[in-house]
Formats: sequence, structure tokens, C-alpha cells
Amino acid sequence: MAIVELTGVTKTYQQGKVSVQALRGVDLRVEKGSFLALAGPSGSGKTTLLNLIGGLDRPSQGDIRVDEHDFARMNQSELAELRLFKIGFVFQSYNLIPVLSALENVEFVMLLQRIGAAERRQRAEAVLAEVGLSGLLERRPLELSGGQQQRVAVARAIVSGPAIVLADEPTANLDSKTGQGLLEMMKTLNAQKGVTFIFSTHDNMVMDYARRLVLIRDGRVAEDQVKGS
Amino acid sequence: MFFKMAWRNLWRNPRRTTVILIAVVIGLWSLLFLNAFMRGAIEQMVENNISILTGHLKVQKTGYHSDPVIENSITQPDEVKGVLAKVLPKEARYTSRVRLQVVASNARHNAGVTLVGIDPEAEAEMSFIGDAPLQGRYLSADTPHKILAGRALVEKMETQLEYKLVLMGQDTQNEIASRAFRIRGIFDAELESTEKQYVFVLKQAAQDMLRMGPAVSEFSVLLPEGALLPGVAQALKEALPEGYRVYTWRELLPLMDAYLKMFDGFIYLWTVAVFIAMGFGLVNTILMTVYERMHEFGLLKALGMKSGWIIREVLAEAFLILVLGMAAGNGLGVITVEAMSGGLDLSAFAAGAEFAGMSRIIYPRIVLQDMLVANGVVFFLGLGVSLYPALKAARFTPVEAMLQT
Amino acid sequence: MSMDAKMAWRNVWRNPRRTSLTIAAITFATGLLIFSFSFQFGSYDAMINAAIQVHTGHLQIQAKGYLEDKDMRQVVEHPEAVARILKNTSDVKDYACRANAFSLIASEDRTYGGLVIGIDPIREPRVSRIKTLIRKGAYLDKAHGAQAVVGQLLARNLKVGLGDELTLLGQGRDGSIAATVVTVKGLYATGQDEFDRSTIQIPLSFFQDTYAMRGAVHEVVILGRHLDQVNQIRHRLTPKLAQIENPKPLVALTWSEIMPGLIQAIKLDLTSGFIMYSLLVIVVAFSILNTFLMAVLERTREFGVMMAIGIRPNRLTKLLLYESTVLTLMGLGVGWILGVGVTYFFQQHGIDLAGSSEILAQYGISGRLYPRLSWASMTVGPALVLIITILAALYPALRVRRLSIVDSLAYA
Repeated sequence: MAIVELTGVTKTYQQGKVSVQALRGVDLRVEKGSFLALAGPSGSGKTTLLNLIGGLDRPSQGDIRVDEHDFARMNQSELAELRLFKIGFVFQSYNLIPVLSALENVEFVMLLQRIGAAERRQRAEAVLAEVGLSGLLERRPLELSGGQQQRVAVARAIVSGPAIVLADEPTANLDSKTGQGLLEMMKTLNAQKGVTFIFSTHDNMVMDYARRLVLIRDGRVAEDQVKGS
Repeated sequence: MFFKMAWRNLWRNPRRTTVILIAVVIGLWSLLFLNAFMRGAIEQMVENNISILTGHLKVQKTGYHSDPVIENSITQPDEVKGVLAKVLPKEARYTSRVRLQVVASNARHNAGVTLVGIDPEAEAEMSFIGDAPLQGRYLSADTPHKILAGRALVEKMETQLEYKLVLMGQDTQNEIASRAFRIRGIFDAELESTEKQYVFVLKQAAQDMLRMGPAVSEFSVLLPEGALLPGVAQALKEALPEGYRVYTWRELLPLMDAYLKMFDGFIYLWTVAVFIAMGFGLVNTILMTVYERMHEFGLLKALGMKSGWIIREVLAEAFLILVLGMAAGNGLGVITVEAMSGGLDLSAFAAGAEFAGMSRIIYPRIVLQDMLVANGVVFFLGLGVSLYPALKAARFTPVEAMLQT
Repeated sequence: MSMDAKMAWRNVWRNPRRTSLTIAAITFATGLLIFSFSFQFGSYDAMINAAIQVHTGHLQIQAKGYLEDKDMRQVVEHPEAVARILKNTSDVKDYACRANAFSLIASEDRTYGGLVIGIDPIREPRVSRIKTLIRKGAYLDKAHGAQAVVGQLLARNLKVGLGDELTLLGQGRDGSIAATVVTVKGLYATGQDEFDRSTIQIPLSFFQDTYAMRGAVHEVVILGRHLDQVNQIRHRLTPKLAQIENPKPLVALTWSEIMPGLIQAIKLDLTSGFIMYSLLVIVVAFSILNTFLMAVLERTREFGVMMAIGIRPNRLTKLLLYESTVLTLMGLGVGWILGVGVTYFFQQHGIDLAGSSEILAQYGISGRLYPRLSWASMTVGPALVLIITILAALYPALRVRRLSIVDSLAYA
């Protein structure tokens, strides 16, 4: 079953007087439970594509459906609602709210979902244990290493069981060993809980881990390969 | 170079610069505008008082000031006139009057008033009575039995034009002299108290009634604009023979003098208060720009820039903000005052204005001195407090600054 | 503490230096306004009290029309009937009768016109302060007798001192000539030049004989228990006064009706003060607006992340308003404590305004001015600060709604 469906998606930015065509027609279907990497050189349009799938931005043309929801028919508020319940995000850096502790950062999403305090706490602690941060619940982001921060971000992304987790170059600011640990962890989550992950990356290690690799070049899908596992 | 850099730095974050500029502009505008209003109110008060038979200077017989009776009159007015004609600047005006506290009465009422015997033509050039709206007619040389009375007095005494008022006062022989006058004109004045206090007759008529001969109570002098009061007063003192005293309006109206001094003090206090209000914002804003540019200052230092230069660079930014804000604030202030040159009508508070001795319509007035105080305080204190962020910036070490993200 | 409040509190302290400066600005404005309003109210009180204690009392009962005309013939015919009513009216503390006549006042070699006031030497000190303002000699001590206390400036003009005689010449109630001779018993100085230059006081019954009053008076001066009760007392008196026979109906007038200038001068002063303070607070608002703005601009990326994970713009606005409210409330709190503290100190010790004593004397204020804390002075200023700062905070808080998620995420 396709959890993400893109049909004929284009995106043109207006930069001053110049219009930049970031995407020139993308068709893409992503099955539930995928572990997919969007790869390509910088400027290829992969971040734009990820933003569109996440409902952070709207396409110039084409249809996007995530978990059976047609983005074109949704207003900003409905999109926010969808992101809150169905989509998790992990960014390259500065993922977390600096004034909140690791635990509170994870709880914050559930707070927005109006989940009661007790359940919030219990689920946040559980998911932080899953990403291996049991001992660091009360640390603020500045007191955590880069890798630990990204783990908190992943915990936050998966805590409410989203349909997909979108990760924009999650390992770019990490050394390779820490990056590998993070990818291992996400792969385990994918295998055990069936969380769908979509990455954008130009990091070879991420591409190695991916089970499906979509190469983007000049705003088009240049290559789409499913690796046997 | 400093200013070019400072200027460009200011506009790296136009919104922030605009906000702090607005604070400075509103501050200065409000200072200028409020000062102009208060200055206008107070100077009008002073001018009203000067025009109410005070003038800039008065020459009286020694002793008259504390004991204003006929005995203490100037018996040889020609002597004084001669000195005035010689000493005063050409455009100065002067006149002599007879003044006496008398009782005015008619069949129904009594009231204490000041009888003023005037030379109608000269007086009209000197004091409020020349400009006052008049019902009936003004005095002229052939009206020895006519009198001008204020509207409030006429109403209080339930009388009207062409009715009689009897004046009673103490003459040169210490006897009660009385004489009846017919009301020829009813004048309106800025203050009701003026209307109640003064009645005007011909100088000659007053002299006859009080058996004074050619004597007068005082000479009043109005100086042309720009003439220096203390200098003229001094010259008069020296030129007049023994037995006379020269008073400036500041001595004649000590209360007005006190008001002016209090106001000058108040302007300083209020300017400092407004400055403090904008000073916090100024320091904060410059601090923000300094901290954002820690990298840059570190780089400049690494390139060999001395602390003093960095301080100057930051102060130049403060300088530009202040100067821009001051220019706009002053401009707006002047425009506002200009736009309100028709005056602010206090009629809603008429009785209150009267009580405080103010005019009913206040014309704002920008005075150079007030402008200098407001701008001076804001500018120098502004640069002063900007030293704090400037010193902060100068203290960043290159390494520490480069480490910051 | 809710998560939102916790976040607001922590965010406020992310930049302690900036926060402190901002709080200091709000503190300054709040403190200054509390002090200034208290100072103004204090001086109004002093002015009103001076006027009440020297001139008007809290209320006066007069014949209708006397206030405007000051006509001798418009009298309170039966003061004893009025007295009976006053004794039975609650909140009336005391009362005294007065009569006034404009007369020629002559010494041996000087003559001036002035107001001769007949007062009851026993009752008058209970409603007025003149007795305490005697600077030389003594107050009137006999209910009846040819003696007078004289305004100090009038005495100087008349060249008289204690024990000298003054001739009074005026018109009686019936139009006859009224003439008498009195001995100067004391001199008073209220500081109000106009009053000190033009009035003398003599015993009421002596006045009544001299001016053929036939037992009538012009004013019954009333002092209530408290200034605020003036209107209630008037309400109680009005129907009772209607029952007293008098040539012209009797009316009860409050001090502010007798001296409309004073209350209007106060209103004028208060209005201009309010405008000045508002402008000051607006300057403060712009001064701190940058702090609020920076709090948004610096955290653009953070807001981008929050919006990406699904926070609604409303919630973000609310969070930011919480932050500015926390800041403002801290400034208000500190400013309130400082302002009230400093004002309270001066309320106890007074402020010496020697430089302006000539001016203050004209309003009947002598020596020190005491600011007065009141509900109004403690709340109006802070409320003004609160409203204007929250208005300033609205701009960045609403601006955050216009952030685009994609741009915010790209913000370095």
C-alpha cells in the first residue's frame, strides 16, 4: 500500500527576478514500511521534495497524497494537524526547543496532541529508552552531544506513531561513528515497528543503509533502485 | 570611514534600527511639543501680566512700591520724562499713569478697584486696554467724566453703559475725594480678575479728583524686542536723580519669575525622565548589534584593530541613531507646533485656567533654550550610555569571539 | 506550572542582560508614574484642604444667588433654624456662620477697600484654619466687641500694627451707612496674597449690629467628617432646607461649586499630566519593542521546527505573549514595589520644595508637600504601562504568524 504518492509534482521558486525550477515533474510512490533515501547533489531538489511531502510547502503543480490525504484539498490548519499526528520530522541540526529538556521536548508533541500528563510522561520515557537515552531525560539540548540531540529528535518524531518520518540530512553534522549509531537505531525502529523513514542525503553511509535509493538530479527522478536485503 | 561603516551596519537590520529610531523620535517630539506648550502657557501668562499695566520696567518714587499712595507720587514727571527720552532705545515706548486703590460704588453695590488715570493714546500702545474688545467707546482727550470698566465688574455691580459709578479714594490731603464717572466703555480681558480690578479714566481727571497737580504714580516702559532688560534698567538707575526707583518686571512680578524658574527646572527633570525611557532601549539595541557581530569584532581585532577603534565604531552607530532621531524628532516637533499655531483651546477648563492665571487659548512656542536642553540631554547622555556596549565590544578577545557561534 | 508558562519563563531568561535592561525600563516607568500620580494627588489634596480650611469649608448654606452677586441683602434670615437642622444631620462635624460686607477700611493715614468678614470666634476655629495662621497678636476672643484680625498685607498697606484703630465704613443690609471703629487684635497670613491683602475679620454679632443684619448671616460654613461625604451631606440637607422660611430659598453648595476654578485647575493639571505620562510610556514601549522583536527574529529557526512538528500559529502567538507578559509583569512588580516604597517614604517625610514656595503659597500650601498613595495613584500608572507594553508586544507576536515554515527552517 502506498503511503506517499506524488504525481507530476513541479515546484518553481521566485528569487527576485529569477525563477528557479527546483522540481520539474516528479512521480513517486512510497510503500508503507519503506526505508528510503532521496539522494543527489546539493541543489538537486531533494530538500524541496522532502518539504513538499511533509506539507511544509505546496507544489506549483501536481498532486501529493500522504496516508490517503490529498494535500491540495487541505488548508494550512489541516496540514498542521496532519503533520502533528501523521508525520515526524528530523532535521539536520537545531532540531530541539532549547529551553525544554529532552523529556519535555518529546512530551511537547503529545502536549500539542492534547494527551494527558501521565500518559505523556510514560510514553516519552519509554521512547527515550528505546533510542538509548534513559539516563539523560532532564538534560537541556545544550547539555547533549550532537548525536544525543538527534536521538531526541528521532524519539520526538516517532513517539506518536506517525505514518512517515522525514529526515533531512540527519547525519550531516555528526561524525561517522555517531552517524552510524543513529542510522542503526532508525533501521531497528523500521524493522521492529514498521516506521516508514524517508531521508534526504548526500552521505554515502545513509545511501548504504537505505533499502530503496531514489536519485534526484536537476529536479527529476534520475534513478530509482530497490536494493535487496 | 567610521561613519560609512556605522551607517551600513545600522541598516543591516533595518527593522531594529527603525524601532529604536522611533523611540528616539517620539521622545524628542514629545519633549519639544510639550515644552512648547508649557512654554507658551507660561510666557503668555508672563506677557499677560506685563500687559496688565506692568510693562518691562517701571519708574516709581522710592517708597511707592511698598506703600502705593498718592503721597508717594512722582511730583515732577517732566524730570523723569527727560531721562527716559535720553536713555531708552529709540523704539521703546513709555507712558505715565495715576494709580490708586479706590472704592467704586453705585446705588446698589460697592467694590474695591484700582483707578488708573491714563493718557489714552500712549496707553493703548502699551497695555492690554489697547487691544481689549470694547463695548462702547475708548477714552479720548475730551472725556474727563467718563470711565472704562471691565465686563465682570459691570455685571457684578449690575450696571451698564452710560450709567454712573462713584469712585472714592484718599487724596493728597489725606481726605476722601469722590467723583462720579459715566461708563463710556466696557472692556473684556483675558482674565476675569483683570476685568474686576481695573477702571480707567483720563490721567487729567484722576489728577483733578485727587488734587495731585501734574503728579503721576509711575512711568511704565515697554522695550523693543531684543533690548537687554538688565542693561537698560541699570542705565536708567544711573541717569535718574535721587528719590526714584527702577523696577524690572521680574521684581514687579515675583510670582511669574518663580514660575519661569520652576519651569526651567522642570524641563530638565522631564527631559532626563524621557531620556531614561529611551536610554534603556538604546543600550539594549546597541548591545544586540554588538553581540550579533562578535565574530566580526574578533576578526577586526585579529586583523590588528585596536580597542579604541572598536569603541569609536560602536559609538559612531549610537551617534548616527541619535542624530537621525533628533533630526526627525525636532522636525516633527516643529511641524506639530506649526500645525497647532492656531492655539489649544482650554475653554473646557476655562475656570481652571483662570484659577491658575493662564490664558484660555494656549499658543505653543518653541524656544531655542528648551530645544537645546532637550537635544543636549538626549545627545550627551545617549552617547554616555552607549559607552557600555562599546566597551563590551572592545573587550571581546579574538579567540573567544571566533569560538562563538 | 504549565508547559507554556515554563517555556515562557525559561525563554525570558535566555538572555539575562537584555531581559534585565528591559525589566529596568518597565520598572522605571512604573515607579515614576506611581510616584508622580501620588505626588499630584498629594498636592491636590493640599490645595483643596487649604481652600476648604481657609475659605469655603466642605459646604456652605447660602441664599440662592448670593454666590454670584455677593449682595448684602441676600441673607440666611434664620441661622438658628439652619443650626438645628445641621445638629441633626449625620456626618456634619461642625459648622459656623459668617457674614461679609465690602467696606472702606481706614487707618489714621491710609484708606483701602476690603472685605469685612463677621465670624463667630467660638465656632469659626472649628471650621477654618485662620486661628492657626495668626502671625502676630491673638485671635478674636470675644463674641462681641470692637476688635479685628487683619490680613498681614492689608495691615502693611494701612500702616497699622497691633492695638491700632481702624475705621470701617460701608453699607448696612437696609442700605443705611454702617460705620464703626475696631482695634487690631491680630494679623494673619494665609500665604495667599489676594486674601491677605483684602480681608479683615470681626466678631459676627458685632458685625450684625454694625451692618444692621438683624440676626441674619450670609453663609453657614459646614465641615463634614470627610471630604468624600460632601455630596451625601448635601443630599440630606436639601429637602430639609426647603422647609426653612427665607426671603430667597436656601441652597447647600459644595466647595467645588463655590470655587469651581480649583477643581478645574486640578482637572487641567491631571489631563496634561496624563498626556505627558502616556507619551513617556509610549517611548518606553518602543524602547522595549526591540527586545520583543529580537525574541522572535533570533528564534526563527526554532519556530520553523515547532511549526513543522505541527504547532498552530495561534499557539505560537500565545507563547510569545506569555513571554512578554512575564517580562512586563516582572517590571511592573519591581516598579510597583519601588514606586510605592519611595512614595511611602516621602509620604511620611514630605518633600521640601523650597524653590517654589512662593508659587505653592498662592495655592495655600506651605513648607513641605506630601505625596499621597491612593488606589488611583497605585493602579492608574501601572495599568497604563501594562496596556501600552502589551500593545507593543502584539506586533512581534502577530508577526510570527507570517513566518513561512520553509524559510524559517532555512534561517541560520
